[in-house]
Amino acid sequence: MKTVINEQERRNFAREVESKLHDKLAKCYQCGKCSAGCPVNFEMDFTPNQIIKMTELGMADKVLDSKTIWLCVSCNTCSTRCPKGFEVAGIMDVLREIAVNRGIESKTEKEVQTFHEVFLDNVKSNGRIFELELVGKYKLKTKHLFRDMFLAPKMIEKGKLKIHSDRVSNINQIAKIFKDFE
Amino acid sequence: MKLAYYPGCSLKGTSFEYEVSLLKILEALNIEIQEIPDWNCCGASAAHSLNHNLSVALPARNLAIAENNGFGEVLAPCAACSSRLKTAKYEMGSDDILKKKITDSLEMPYSNSLNISNMLEFLINVAGKEKIKSLVKKPLSGLKVASYYGCLLVRPPKVMKFDDPERPVTMDELVALTGAVPVDYSYKTECCGAINSLSKPDVVMALTGKILYDIKEHGADLVVVACPLCHSNLDVRQREIERKYAERIGLPVLFITELLGLAFGFSPEELAIGGHMVNADKVLKKIS
Repeated sequence: MKTVINEQERRNFAREVESKLHDKLAKCYQCGKCSAGCPVNFEMDFTPNQIIKMTELGMADKVLDSKTIWLCVSCNTCSTRCPKGFEVAGIMDVLREIAVNRGIESKTEKEVQTFHEVFLDNVKSNGRIFELELVGKYKLKTKHLFRDMFLAPKMIEKGKLKIHSDRVSNINQIAKIFKDFE
Repeated sequence: MKLAYYPGCSLKGTSFEYEVSLLKILEALNIEIQEIPDWNCCGASAAHSLNHNLSVALPARNLAIAENNGFGEVLAPCAACSSRLKTAKYEMGSDDILKKKITDSLEMPYSNSLNISNMLEFLINVAGKEKIKSLVKKPLSGLKVASYYGCLLVRPPKVMKFDDPERPVTMDELVALTGAVPVDYSYKTECCGAINSLSKPDVVMALTGKILYDIKEHGADLVVVACPLCHSNLDVRQREIERKYAERIGLPVLFITELLGLAFGFSPEELAIGGHMVNADKVLKKIS
Protein backbone atom coordinates (compact mmCIF):
# COMPACT_ATOMS: atom_id res chain seq x y z
CA MET A 1 0.00 0.00 0.00
CA LYS A 2 1.49 3.36 -1.06
CA THR A 3 1.15 5.89 1.69
CA VAL A 4 2.21 9.52 1.66
CA ILE A 5 1.97 11.04 5.08
CA ASN A 6 1.49 14.71 5.66
CA GLU A 7 2.72 15.19 9.22
CA GLN A 8 0.33 18.02 10.01
CA GLU A 9 -2.71 16.12 8.76
CA ARG A 10 -1.51 12.97 10.49
CA ARG A 11 -1.27 14.72 13.83
CA ASN A 12 -4.62 16.46 13.43
CA PHE A 13 -6.44 13.23 12.72
CA ALA A 14 -4.67 11.24 15.44
CA ARG A 15 -5.36 14.02 17.95
CA GLU A 16 -9.03 14.25 17.00
CA VAL A 17 -9.44 10.51 17.54
CA GLU A 18 -7.46 10.49 20.78
CA SER A 19 -9.41 13.38 22.30
CA LYS A 20 -12.76 11.70 21.56
CA LEU A 21 -11.44 8.33 22.67
CA HIS A 22 -9.76 9.52 25.88
CA ASP A 23 -6.96 7.10 25.08
CA LYS A 24 -3.53 7.10 23.38
CA LEU A 25 -2.95 5.41 20.01
CA ALA A 26 0.72 4.81 20.87
CA LYS A 27 -0.35 2.37 23.58
CA CYS A 28 -0.95 -0.22 20.86
CA TYR A 29 2.17 -2.31 20.13
CA GLN A 30 0.52 -4.27 17.31
CA CYS A 31 0.39 -7.67 18.98
CA GLY A 32 -2.78 -8.49 17.06
CA LYS A 33 -4.65 -10.07 19.96
CA CYS A 34 -7.70 -7.88 19.22
CA SER A 35 -7.84 -9.11 15.64
CA ALA A 36 -7.26 -12.76 16.54
CA GLY A 37 -10.30 -12.81 18.84
CA CYS A 38 -12.57 -10.61 16.73
CA PRO A 39 -15.70 -12.61 15.81
CA VAL A 40 -16.21 -10.70 12.54
CA ASN A 41 -12.57 -10.51 11.36
CA PHE A 42 -13.46 -12.78 8.41
CA GLU A 43 -15.58 -10.02 6.85
CA MET A 44 -13.30 -7.04 7.50
CA ASP A 45 -11.11 -5.26 4.95
CA PHE A 46 -8.64 -4.16 7.66
CA THR A 47 -8.13 -5.93 10.98
CA PRO A 48 -8.70 -3.93 14.18
CA ASN A 49 -4.95 -3.56 14.87
CA GLN A 50 -4.45 -2.29 11.30
CA ILE A 51 -7.17 0.29 11.88
CA ILE A 52 -5.36 1.51 15.00
CA LYS A 53 -2.01 1.83 13.18
CA MET A 54 -3.62 3.46 10.12
CA THR A 55 -5.31 6.00 12.40
CA GLU A 56 -1.97 6.74 14.03
CA LEU A 57 -0.48 7.20 10.55
CA GLY A 58 -3.22 9.68 9.66
CA MET A 59 -4.79 7.55 6.92
CA ALA A 60 -8.17 9.16 7.56
CA ASP A 61 -9.74 8.51 4.15
CA LYS A 62 -9.01 4.79 4.19
CA VAL A 63 -10.02 4.31 7.81
CA LEU A 64 -13.26 6.30 7.63
CA ASP A 65 -14.32 4.51 4.46
CA SER A 66 -13.36 1.05 5.72
CA LYS A 67 -15.82 -1.81 6.02
CA THR A 68 -14.30 -2.63 9.39
CA ILE A 69 -15.71 0.32 11.34
CA TRP A 70 -19.28 -0.65 10.35
CA LEU A 71 -18.80 -4.42 10.64
CA CYS A 72 -17.53 -4.17 14.23
CA VAL A 73 -20.26 -5.70 16.41
CA SER A 74 -19.16 -3.83 19.56
CA CYS A 75 -18.79 -7.09 21.47
CA ASN A 76 -15.77 -5.67 23.32
CA THR A 77 -13.79 -8.92 23.15
CA CYS A 78 -10.86 -6.90 21.78
CA SER A 79 -10.86 -4.26 24.54
CA THR A 80 -11.29 -6.94 27.21
CA ARG A 81 -8.28 -8.92 25.97
CA CYS A 82 -5.97 -6.02 25.01
CA PRO A 83 -2.77 -6.41 27.07
CA LYS A 84 -2.38 -2.61 27.06
CA GLY A 85 -5.97 -1.84 27.99
CA PHE A 86 -6.48 0.14 24.80
CA GLU A 87 -10.06 1.06 23.86
CA VAL A 88 -10.18 -1.03 20.69
CA ALA A 89 -13.99 -1.23 20.50
CA GLY A 90 -14.10 2.42 21.53
CA ILE A 91 -12.03 3.53 18.53
CA MET A 92 -14.59 1.96 16.18
CA ASP A 93 -17.35 4.09 17.76
CA VAL A 94 -15.18 7.21 17.48
CA LEU A 95 -14.33 6.53 13.82
CA ARG A 96 -17.98 5.87 12.94
CA GLU A 97 -18.97 9.15 14.57
CA ILE A 98 -16.24 11.09 12.75
CA ALA A 99 -17.23 9.46 9.43
CA VAL A 100 -20.88 10.47 9.94
CA ASN A 101 -19.93 14.02 10.96
CA ARG A 102 -17.79 14.36 7.81
CA GLY A 103 -20.67 13.07 5.69
CA ILE A 104 -18.75 9.99 4.56
CA GLU A 105 -21.15 7.23 3.59
CA SER A 106 -19.78 3.72 3.54
CA LYS A 107 -19.71 2.38 -0.01
CA THR A 108 -20.18 -1.21 1.04
CA GLU A 109 -21.74 -1.11 4.50
CA LYS A 110 -24.26 1.68 4.10
CA GLU A 111 -27.06 -0.51 5.44
CA VAL A 112 -25.47 -0.77 8.86
CA GLN A 113 -25.33 3.01 9.11
CA THR A 114 -28.88 3.34 7.76
CA PHE A 115 -30.18 0.92 10.39
CA HIS A 116 -28.63 2.97 13.21
CA GLU A 117 -30.03 6.20 11.72
CA VAL A 118 -33.55 4.79 11.38
CA PHE A 119 -33.29 3.43 14.92
CA LEU A 120 -32.38 6.83 16.36
CA ASP A 121 -35.15 8.53 14.33
CA ASN A 122 -37.57 6.08 15.94
CA VAL A 123 -36.29 7.00 19.41
CA LYS A 124 -36.52 10.68 18.53
CA SER A 125 -40.15 10.51 17.46
CA ASN A 126 -41.52 8.00 20.02
CA GLY A 127 -39.02 8.05 22.88
CA ARG A 128 -39.13 4.27 22.63
CA ILE A 129 -38.67 1.76 19.83
CA PHE A 130 -41.75 0.79 17.89
CA GLU A 131 -40.37 -2.37 16.29
CA LEU A 132 -42.84 -2.66 13.42
CA GLU A 133 -42.25 0.94 12.37
CA LEU A 134 -38.47 0.54 12.76
CA VAL A 135 -38.35 -2.54 10.53
CA GLY A 136 -40.77 -1.00 8.01
CA LYS A 137 -38.82 2.23 7.62
CA TYR A 138 -35.50 0.39 7.45
CA LYS A 139 -36.83 -1.83 4.67
CA LEU A 140 -38.17 1.12 2.71
CA LYS A 141 -34.84 2.92 2.97
CA THR A 142 -32.70 -0.04 2.00
CA LYS A 143 -35.21 -1.50 -0.50
CA HIS A 144 -34.73 -4.93 1.07
CA LEU A 145 -38.48 -5.29 1.25
CA PHE A 146 -38.65 -9.06 1.31
CA ARG A 147 -35.57 -10.00 3.30
CA ASP A 148 -36.61 -11.57 6.64
CA MET A 149 -40.28 -11.11 5.75
CA PHE A 150 -40.89 -14.86 5.95
CA LEU A 151 -40.37 -14.47 9.71
CA ALA A 152 -43.23 -12.00 10.07
CA PRO A 153 -46.35 -14.24 9.97
CA LYS A 154 -45.09 -16.53 12.73
CA MET A 155 -43.86 -13.58 14.79
CA ILE A 156 -47.31 -11.99 14.57
CA GLU A 157 -48.94 -15.32 15.46
CA LYS A 158 -46.66 -15.60 18.51
CA GLY A 159 -47.55 -12.06 19.62
CA LYS A 160 -44.00 -10.79 19.05
CA LEU A 161 -44.88 -7.90 16.75
CA LYS A 162 -47.08 -5.29 18.38
CA ILE A 163 -49.36 -3.24 16.14
CA HIS A 164 -49.02 -0.11 18.24
CA SER A 165 -46.47 1.19 20.72
CA ASP A 166 -46.35 3.23 23.88
CA ARG A 167 -44.76 6.61 23.47
CA VAL A 168 -42.91 8.58 26.11
CA SER A 169 -45.37 11.17 27.55
CA ASN A 170 -42.75 13.85 28.06
CA ILE A 171 -41.69 13.70 24.42
CA ASN A 172 -40.54 17.34 24.63
CA GLN A 173 -37.75 16.26 26.95
CA ILE A 174 -36.64 13.64 24.41
CA ALA A 175 -36.70 16.31 21.70
CA LYS A 176 -34.57 18.53 23.93
CA ILE A 177 -31.99 15.77 24.49
CA PHE A 178 -31.69 15.31 20.72
CA LYS A 179 -31.51 19.08 20.18
CA ASP A 180 -28.76 19.44 22.79
CA PHE A 181 -26.65 16.47 21.75
CA GLU A 182 -27.37 15.68 18.11
CA MET B 1 -34.84 0.00 49.43
CA LYS B 2 -37.24 0.78 46.60
CA LEU B 3 -36.40 -1.28 43.50
CA ALA B 4 -36.79 0.34 40.10
CA TYR B 5 -37.52 -1.67 36.97
CA TYR B 6 -36.27 -0.55 33.56
CA PRO B 7 -38.01 -2.86 31.06
CA GLY B 8 -36.60 -1.39 27.84
CA CYS B 9 -38.28 -1.68 24.46
CA SER B 10 -37.70 -5.39 23.71
CA LEU B 11 -39.48 -6.62 26.84
CA LYS B 12 -42.58 -4.70 25.74
CA GLY B 13 -42.38 -6.11 22.20
CA THR B 14 -40.56 -9.04 20.59
CA SER B 15 -39.38 -10.43 23.94
CA PHE B 16 -42.60 -10.07 25.96
CA GLU B 17 -41.99 -13.63 27.28
CA TYR B 18 -39.04 -12.29 29.27
CA GLU B 19 -41.21 -9.75 31.10
CA VAL B 20 -44.07 -12.22 31.72
CA SER B 21 -41.72 -14.80 33.26
CA LEU B 22 -39.74 -12.19 35.18
CA LEU B 23 -42.87 -10.81 36.87
CA LYS B 24 -43.99 -14.34 37.76
CA ILE B 25 -40.76 -15.32 39.48
CA LEU B 26 -40.41 -12.01 41.31
CA GLU B 27 -43.94 -12.53 42.65
CA ALA B 28 -42.88 -15.96 43.93
CA LEU B 29 -39.71 -14.44 45.42
CA ASN B 30 -41.87 -11.75 47.06
CA ILE B 31 -39.81 -8.94 45.52
CA GLU B 32 -41.63 -5.78 44.52
CA ILE B 33 -40.36 -3.70 41.62
CA GLN B 34 -41.75 -0.48 40.12
CA GLU B 35 -41.37 0.55 36.50
CA ILE B 36 -39.41 3.80 36.09
CA PRO B 37 -42.10 6.40 35.29
CA ASP B 38 -42.14 7.48 31.63
CA TRP B 39 -38.87 5.65 30.81
CA ASN B 40 -37.31 6.09 27.36
CA CYS B 41 -35.20 3.90 25.05
CA CYS B 42 -31.55 3.60 26.15
CA GLY B 43 -30.39 4.33 22.59
CA ALA B 44 -28.95 0.82 22.29
CA SER B 45 -26.10 0.20 19.86
CA ALA B 46 -27.39 2.82 17.40
CA ALA B 47 -26.63 5.71 19.76
CA HIS B 48 -23.12 4.61 20.70
CA SER B 49 -22.33 3.87 17.05
CA LEU B 50 -23.27 7.34 15.84
CA ASN B 51 -23.17 9.78 18.75
CA HIS B 52 -21.28 9.23 22.00
CA ASN B 53 -22.89 12.07 23.96
CA LEU B 54 -26.39 10.97 22.98
CA SER B 55 -25.53 7.41 24.01
CA VAL B 56 -24.90 8.71 27.54
CA ALA B 57 -27.70 11.29 27.66
CA LEU B 58 -30.54 8.91 26.66
CA PRO B 59 -29.95 6.35 29.43
CA ALA B 60 -29.10 9.19 31.85
CA ARG B 61 -32.69 10.48 31.65
CA ASN B 62 -33.92 7.13 33.00
CA LEU B 63 -31.34 7.10 35.76
CA ALA B 64 -32.19 10.67 36.75
CA ILE B 65 -35.93 9.94 36.86
CA ALA B 66 -35.27 6.85 38.99
CA GLU B 67 -33.02 8.74 41.36
CA ASN B 68 -35.48 11.64 41.71
CA ASN B 69 -38.22 9.11 42.54
CA GLY B 70 -36.20 7.81 45.47
CA PHE B 71 -34.97 4.55 43.98
CA GLY B 72 -31.54 3.22 44.94
CA GLU B 73 -31.39 0.12 42.76
CA VAL B 74 -32.38 -0.45 39.13
CA LEU B 75 -33.06 -3.81 37.53
CA ALA B 76 -32.48 -3.80 33.76
CA PRO B 77 -33.24 -7.38 32.59
CA CYS B 78 -32.17 -6.68 28.99
CA ALA B 79 -28.40 -7.16 28.80
CA ALA B 80 -28.10 -4.40 26.20
CA CYS B 81 -30.08 -1.93 28.31
CA SER B 82 -28.15 -2.80 31.48
CA SER B 83 -24.92 -2.32 29.55
CA ARG B 84 -26.02 1.14 28.30
CA LEU B 85 -27.23 2.23 31.76
CA LYS B 86 -24.01 1.04 33.38
CA THR B 87 -21.92 2.69 30.66
CA ALA B 88 -23.80 5.99 31.15
CA LYS B 89 -23.09 5.84 34.87
CA TYR B 90 -19.42 5.01 34.18
CA GLU B 91 -19.00 7.81 31.62
CA MET B 92 -20.67 10.43 33.83
CA GLY B 93 -18.52 9.25 36.72
CA SER B 94 -15.34 9.88 34.74
CA ASP B 95 -16.36 12.93 32.66
CA ASP B 96 -17.64 15.83 34.81
CA ILE B 97 -18.09 18.14 31.83
CA LEU B 98 -20.37 15.68 30.03
CA LYS B 99 -22.26 14.98 33.24
CA LYS B 100 -22.93 18.70 33.72
CA LYS B 101 -24.06 19.12 30.11
CA ILE B 102 -26.48 16.23 30.56
CA THR B 103 -27.92 17.33 33.90
CA ASP B 104 -28.32 20.86 32.49
CA SER B 105 -30.18 19.45 29.51
CA LEU B 106 -32.43 17.26 31.66
CA GLU B 107 -33.01 20.07 34.18
CA MET B 108 -32.98 17.53 37.00
CA PRO B 109 -30.62 17.12 39.93
CA TYR B 110 -28.59 13.94 39.55
CA SER B 111 -25.89 12.43 41.74
CA ASN B 112 -25.02 9.30 39.70
CA SER B 113 -25.43 7.07 42.76
CA LEU B 114 -27.81 4.35 41.55
CA ASN B 115 -26.81 0.71 41.56
CA ILE B 116 -27.66 -0.93 38.25
CA SER B 117 -28.13 -4.70 38.01
CA ASN B 118 -28.52 -7.01 35.06
CA MET B 119 -30.91 -9.96 35.50
CA LEU B 120 -28.28 -12.38 36.82
CA GLU B 121 -26.79 -9.90 39.28
CA PHE B 122 -30.26 -9.09 40.55
CA LEU B 123 -31.13 -12.75 41.08
CA ILE B 124 -27.86 -13.50 42.89
CA ASN B 125 -27.50 -10.29 44.93
CA VAL B 126 -31.06 -9.11 45.57
CA ALA B 127 -33.04 -12.36 45.59
CA GLY B 128 -30.19 -14.60 46.80
CA LYS B 129 -29.32 -18.20 45.98
CA GLU B 130 -30.76 -19.56 49.25
CA LYS B 131 -34.18 -18.05 48.64
CA ILE B 132 -34.20 -19.19 45.02
CA LYS B 133 -33.27 -22.71 46.07
CA SER B 134 -35.99 -22.77 48.74
CA LEU B 135 -38.65 -22.04 46.08
CA VAL B 136 -37.73 -24.95 43.79
CA LYS B 137 -40.79 -27.17 43.97
CA LYS B 138 -40.26 -29.09 40.79
CA PRO B 139 -36.57 -29.89 40.24
CA LEU B 140 -35.65 -30.04 36.56
CA SER B 141 -33.69 -33.26 37.06
CA GLY B 142 -32.17 -34.78 33.96
CA LEU B 143 -32.47 -31.63 31.86
CA LYS B 144 -29.17 -30.58 30.29
CA VAL B 145 -28.99 -26.79 30.00
CA ALA B 146 -26.39 -24.59 28.26
CA SER B 147 -26.06 -21.03 29.57
CA TYR B 148 -25.32 -18.50 26.84
CA TYR B 149 -24.01 -15.19 28.24
CA GLY B 150 -23.05 -13.32 25.07
CA CYS B 151 -21.17 -10.04 25.29
CA LEU B 152 -22.96 -7.36 27.20
CA LEU B 153 -23.46 -9.03 30.57
CA VAL B 154 -19.74 -9.34 31.14
CA ARG B 155 -17.89 -6.97 28.77
CA PRO B 156 -16.16 -4.60 29.13
CA PRO B 157 -15.33 -5.85 32.65
CA LYS B 158 -14.22 -2.43 33.96
CA VAL B 159 -17.76 -1.14 33.37
CA MET B 160 -19.90 -4.26 33.91
CA LYS B 161 -17.97 -5.42 37.00
CA PHE B 162 -19.78 -8.72 36.85
CA ASP B 163 -18.56 -12.31 36.79
CA ASP B 164 -15.57 -13.47 34.71
CA PRO B 165 -15.50 -11.96 31.18
CA GLU B 166 -14.00 -15.08 29.60
CA ARG B 167 -15.52 -17.83 31.68
CA PRO B 168 -18.63 -16.66 33.52
CA VAL B 169 -20.42 -19.02 35.90
CA THR B 170 -23.36 -17.11 37.42
CA MET B 171 -26.05 -18.37 35.04
CA ASP B 172 -24.70 -21.94 35.32
CA GLU B 173 -25.04 -21.63 39.11
CA LEU B 174 -28.67 -20.56 38.74
CA VAL B 175 -29.25 -23.49 36.36
CA ALA B 176 -27.77 -25.86 38.95
CA LEU B 177 -30.17 -24.48 41.61
CA THR B 178 -33.12 -25.69 39.50
CA GLY B 179 -31.79 -29.25 39.59
CA ALA B 180 -30.88 -29.18 35.89
CA VAL B 181 -27.38 -30.11 34.70
CA PRO B 182 -25.27 -27.16 33.44
CA VAL B 183 -23.58 -27.98 30.13
CA ASP B 184 -20.06 -26.71 29.48
CA TYR B 185 -19.17 -25.60 25.94
CA SER B 186 -16.80 -23.28 24.10
CA TYR B 187 -18.78 -20.22 22.99
CA LYS B 188 -20.48 -18.96 26.16
CA THR B 189 -19.30 -15.40 25.58
CA GLU B 190 -18.90 -15.34 21.80
CA CYS B 191 -20.96 -12.62 20.15
CA CYS B 192 -24.19 -13.50 18.29
CA GLY B 193 -23.88 -10.30 16.26
CA ALA B 194 -27.07 -8.67 17.57
CA ILE B 195 -26.02 -5.13 16.61
CA ASN B 196 -26.22 -6.02 12.92
CA SER B 197 -29.08 -8.52 13.09
CA LEU B 198 -31.17 -6.73 10.46
CA SER B 199 -28.39 -5.09 8.45
CA LYS B 200 -25.96 -8.04 8.07
CA PRO B 201 -28.13 -11.17 8.47
CA ASP B 202 -25.59 -13.47 6.77
CA VAL B 203 -22.83 -12.49 9.20
CA VAL B 204 -25.24 -12.85 12.12
CA MET B 205 -26.29 -16.31 11.00
CA ALA B 206 -22.66 -17.40 10.78
CA LEU B 207 -21.97 -16.15 14.32
CA THR B 208 -25.19 -17.48 15.83
CA GLY B 209 -24.90 -20.78 13.96
CA LYS B 210 -21.41 -21.35 15.36
CA ILE B 211 -22.77 -20.94 18.90
CA LEU B 212 -25.87 -23.11 18.41
CA TYR B 213 -24.04 -26.00 16.71
CA ASP B 214 -21.42 -25.98 19.46
CA ILE B 215 -24.11 -26.15 22.13
CA LYS B 216 -25.77 -28.98 20.24
CA GLU B 217 -22.50 -30.93 19.99
CA HIS B 218 -22.08 -30.66 23.75
CA GLY B 219 -25.36 -32.46 24.27
CA ALA B 220 -27.62 -29.76 25.70
CA ASP B 221 -31.42 -30.12 25.64
CA LEU B 222 -31.97 -26.39 25.66
CA VAL B 223 -30.26 -23.00 25.97
CA VAL B 224 -30.90 -20.27 28.53
CA VAL B 225 -30.16 -16.59 27.98
CA ALA B 226 -30.55 -13.32 29.88
CA CYS B 227 -30.73 -10.98 26.89
CA PRO B 228 -33.63 -10.37 24.48
CA LEU B 229 -31.26 -9.67 21.58
CA CYS B 230 -29.38 -12.94 22.09
CA HIS B 231 -32.79 -14.59 22.30
CA SER B 232 -33.94 -13.11 19.01
CA ASN B 233 -30.89 -14.39 17.18
CA LEU B 234 -30.75 -17.84 18.78
CA ASP B 235 -34.50 -18.48 18.68
CA VAL B 236 -36.05 -16.41 15.88
CA ARG B 237 -33.25 -17.07 13.36
CA GLN B 238 -32.68 -20.72 14.29
CA ARG B 239 -34.90 -22.23 11.57
CA GLU B 240 -33.18 -20.08 8.95
CA ILE B 241 -29.74 -21.15 10.20
CA GLU B 242 -30.79 -24.82 9.98
CA ARG B 243 -31.82 -24.27 6.36
CA LYS B 244 -28.68 -22.32 5.47
CA TYR B 245 -26.28 -24.92 6.89
CA ALA B 246 -28.55 -27.88 6.10
CA GLU B 247 -28.23 -29.33 9.56
CA ARG B 248 -30.89 -29.58 12.22
CA ILE B 249 -30.43 -27.81 15.55
CA GLY B 250 -33.80 -28.04 17.33
CA LEU B 251 -32.68 -26.26 20.50
CA PRO B 252 -35.38 -24.40 22.45
CA VAL B 253 -34.06 -21.11 23.82
CA LEU B 254 -35.49 -20.05 27.19
CA PHE B 255 -34.94 -16.98 29.29
CA ILE B 256 -33.30 -17.79 32.64
CA THR B 257 -36.48 -16.44 34.28
CA GLU B 258 -38.53 -19.07 32.45
CA LEU B 259 -36.25 -21.90 33.58
CA LEU B 260 -36.48 -20.71 37.19
CA GLY B 261 -40.26 -20.33 36.78
CA LEU B 262 -40.60 -23.95 35.64
CA ALA B 263 -38.62 -25.08 38.68
CA PHE B 264 -40.83 -22.91 40.91
CA GLY B 265 -43.79 -24.92 39.59
CA PHE B 266 -45.29 -22.48 37.07
CA SER B 267 -46.68 -23.95 33.86
CA PRO B 268 -45.11 -23.17 30.45
CA GLU B 269 -48.30 -21.20 29.63
CA GLU B 270 -47.94 -19.01 32.73
CA LEU B 271 -44.37 -18.24 31.63
CA ALA B 272 -45.33 -17.53 27.99
CA ILE B 273 -42.89 -20.18 26.72
CA GLY B 274 -45.27 -20.73 23.78
CA GLY B 275 -44.20 -17.29 22.53
CA HIS B 276 -40.87 -18.63 21.29
CA MET B 277 -40.31 -19.62 17.68
CA VAL B 278 -38.59 -22.95 18.51
CA ASN B 279 -41.15 -25.22 20.12
CA ALA B 280 -40.11 -26.40 23.59
CA ASP B 281 -42.91 -28.95 24.21
CA LYS B 282 -40.86 -32.05 23.43
CA VAL B 283 -37.95 -31.04 25.63
CA LEU B 284 -40.22 -29.98 28.48
CA LYS B 285 -41.87 -33.42 28.45
CA LYS B 286 -38.62 -34.69 29.96
CA ILE B 287 -39.46 -32.89 33.19
CA SER B 288 -43.24 -33.29 33.29
